[in-house]
Amino acid sequence: MRTLAAAGTSAALGLALTGMMVLAGAALGADDAPKAAPASADGPRFVEVSEAAGVRFAHASRQFTGPHAAVLEMFTEGGAIVAAGDVDSDGDDDLYLITSGEGARHHLYRNDGPAPDGAHDGLPRFVDIAEAAGVAGGNGEETLVSDALFLDYDNDGRLDLLAARLGAPILYRNTGVENGVPRFVDVTAHTGLAKLFANTFAVITFDADADGHLDLLLGHYFPAENLFDLGTPNVLPNDLDRAINGGGASFWQNVADSDAPGGRTFVNRTKEAGFAHHTGWTLDLGHADLDNDGDQDVYLAGDYGTDRLFMNRGDGTFDDTTETAIGWDTKKGMNVDMGDYDRDGYLDVYVTNITDEYMKECNMLWNNQGDGTFVDLSRETGTCDTDWGWAAKFADYDNDGWEDLFAVNGMRSAGEKNYIPVLLEMILTPNIDFSDVNSYPDIEDMTWSGYQKQRFFHNLGDGTFRETAGAVGLDNDWDGRGVAVLDMDDDGRLDLYQASVDRPARLFRNVTPAPGQWIGFALEGAARPGREGGSNRQAIGARVLVHAGGEIFLREVNGGNGFSSQSTLRLHVGLGALTRVDRVEVHWPSGLRQTLDASKHGFVAGAIHRIAEPPPAAGDTERPRS
Amino acid sequence: MRLTSLLIATVLLASLAVPSATADIDFEAVAARAFEAGRAAVDAGNDTVALDHFERALRAKADDLRTGSEYRQAIIRLRAYDRAIAFFEELVQKHPKAPNAHLNLGYAYVDKSPDEGAVTQVLLANTALEHFSAALEAEETWLVRYTRGNSYLYWPPIFGRTQLGLVDLERAIEIAETAEPRSYHVRAWVALGDGHVRLGDLEAAHDAWNRGMKKYPNDGELARRLSTEDAQLETLVNDAYATDRRVDTDLSPIWKAD
Repeated sequence: MRTLAAAGTSAALGLALTGMMVLAGAALGADDAPKAAPASADGPRFVEVSEAAGVRFAHASRQFTGPHAAVLEMFTEGGAIVAAGDVDSDGDDDLYLITSGEGARHHLYRNDGPAPDGAHDGLPRFVDIAEAAGVAGGNGEETLVSDALFLDYDNDGRLDLLAARLGAPILYRNTGVENGVPRFVDVTAHTGLAKLFANTFAVITFDADADGHLDLLLGHYFPAENLFDLGTPNVLPNDLDRAINGGGASFWQNVADSDAPGGRTFVNRTKEAGFAHHTGWTLDLGHADLDNDGDQDVYLAGDYGTDRLFMNRGDGTFDDTTETAIGWDTKKGMNVDMGDYDRDGYLDVYVTNITDEYMKECNMLWNNQGDGTFVDLSRETGTCDTDWGWAAKFADYDNDGWEDLFAVNGMRSAGEKNYIPVLLEMILTPNIDFSDVNSYPDIEDMTWSGYQKQRFFHNLGDGTFRETAGAVGLDNDWDGRGVAVLDMDDDGRLDLYQASVDRPARLFRNVTPAPGQWIGFALEGAARPGREGGSNRQAIGARVLVHAGGEIFLREVNGGNGFSSQSTLRLHVGLGALTRVDRVEVHWPSGLRQTLDASKHGFVAGAIHRIAEPPPAAGDTERPRS
Repeated sequence: MRLTSLLIATVLLASLAVPSATADIDFEAVAARAFEAGRAAVDAGNDTVALDHFERALRAKADDLRTGSEYRQAIIRLRAYDRAIAFFEELVQKHPKAPNAHLNLGYAYVDKSPDEGAVTQVLLANTALEHFSAALEAEETWLVRYTRGNSYLYWPPIFGRTQLGLVDLERAIEIAETAEPRSYHVRAWVALGDGHVRLGDLEAAHDAWNRGMKKYPNDGELARRLSTEDAQLETLVNDAYATDRRVDTDLSPIWKAD
């Protein structure tokens, strides 16, 4: 915990609001008697608009070759990934969509805003600029893009891109926009990441060591073997409940390097940070300040074995508190997202697992007790069952003041024959070696937990959720993987992109007819390019507390939480019936805490407000954390 | 003859034949004393000590169903499942024809299940079934038929074992029909109906429960099922066979009954 005092932070508050953009909506009149925010009865409504928005994309799985092709395809049933981010710095979120075939090209859809002729009721048009931007590649003969993350690793104000892969990752540096197209350059060779060979399924970014620069945490699934040219058949889990032969995780510290583009590089600090002992099959990662101490903690979702919780000591090193905080589990952890669903001031954690007719794991909704421990309330809240779960995202989709959950699911929808009885025979074979690819029967055209409908859990505001996917328009049965949440048309209603395996795009526009009030924030940290200290430019890890009508709404900026997906960096707060915000607290990654009076700073409901962290005073190298 | 004695007492006498050097040892007495010591330790709240006594009793009388059951309940309280499994595995090695030793070994695998992951639970359940089958091979009793049949019902129907359970449960009912009536026998009718529900045959389920109701008109479980709306039956039954909860393997109702 840093304790250096910083002078003048209070005085600096007046300078905090360096700019305010009202991107949408109208300022609402003051209400002298704000009301509490009840949960809405109806929930949101979505319509699918991919074609109309110009998002013409279809994911295709990798077809492996060789004798183990079917098994490897089965175990790599992912690759349908979506990342949202404002790559051209024009104020709206763009979409990066990943496909998996050998040589197949990814798509980067630039959000060009609504058509001038007002077609489709203001629906944005998206244009694919991936080839021109230089980010269409990455699926090689022996590589497969397995996650994507936008991050401004060099604090130059432009979103760079990390493509995690089975194989070596690619770090693209955004060198600026030319003719409306951001130009990305592969700078991997200039960073320590060039030395990494791993089978990564998840990557998140946050400033672990509070130096003002974004670090990386990668979750590796398989052990570090080349899956496209097996040197050993033992590349699968050695145990289906307690596997310890996975790829684990690796932590990469962002450090200065005057020779590297952007002056930054990444150095492997896995051991120093405290992640080296984790050798499980990491399928997803999430970060947040779970103990409200001002630094970012980490939750790892492990397939075939326990999840893990790592609490940040404040200096970028972590304590593994799994045993005392959540206990050991044997489930198939698939997703991590954080949200304060019960508005108690502590971020909770939602993890999807596998719940089907043959396996009743139940998801985990870790209710944060505020004392370093968590209690799983998935059954009590009604969020236990999402079949074979994948990504799930908290957000207040109807602006009723309570964060809902959208969860996608489904493993493999194929022919009529079910793979499970076939798999059972293998599992019951005496002395079978689960790690051996030769042990697994060919899945052929069989279905495995397929044709499962997505789930939408509407937060009822009383500590429970109601499943309403059909009513809200999200109950398709495609094999979902990633989910990105963004407000693509800046109308104050959060939209969704669902990435599905071997399926076309699913872009859901939120058309909720009578949503609650809302307020949005776009944060910018006071970065110090070339220097240590301050906050990262994207303000990842920043926390906003919106005080309104006696209620407090908590949000944090996250860098890639959720399986195979990245959502908008903007913070969106549904206010329900409240029409006026009283004040806004911002806890910056630098340690600076601001309390901004809403009326003084123009924080009206129904608009997105930009808040820039005030620059540090002269000689101020570090700021206190509470 | 009372069922308890049928289950517990008779079968192992032959297998307890011992070398002449120990021929004068009264194994029944040794087992009885050790069992009582174990019970006293349990009553005193010392399960760890009880385990030692119960194991001594079972070594002297491997097929003692009650001792095995009391031993396993102490094991469950201590969560020392691997100790029970290792002990009973050794016991059935020495006494391969002792049905109740196999039965208790099967139960020991079931007892461990709640602390394990979903796939390991399948492996444990499968191993338990092997030992229930071994018990059946050694001697067919109502308890063995019911136990194995009921165990099959815990398998999700997609695994194709529910029908096997129905066969065992029908046979358990046949045995019960010709034996001295015991209140716990009603469980076979209850489970048979449940099995039919698992397979989606509500008519057959009601038939099984109604058959049981004629014999046990005051049974609460039968009445609960027969009064449940069809639309809710699947939920009721699936909940009863949920694999994330501990299966009650306490056999004390046998010697407490009637």
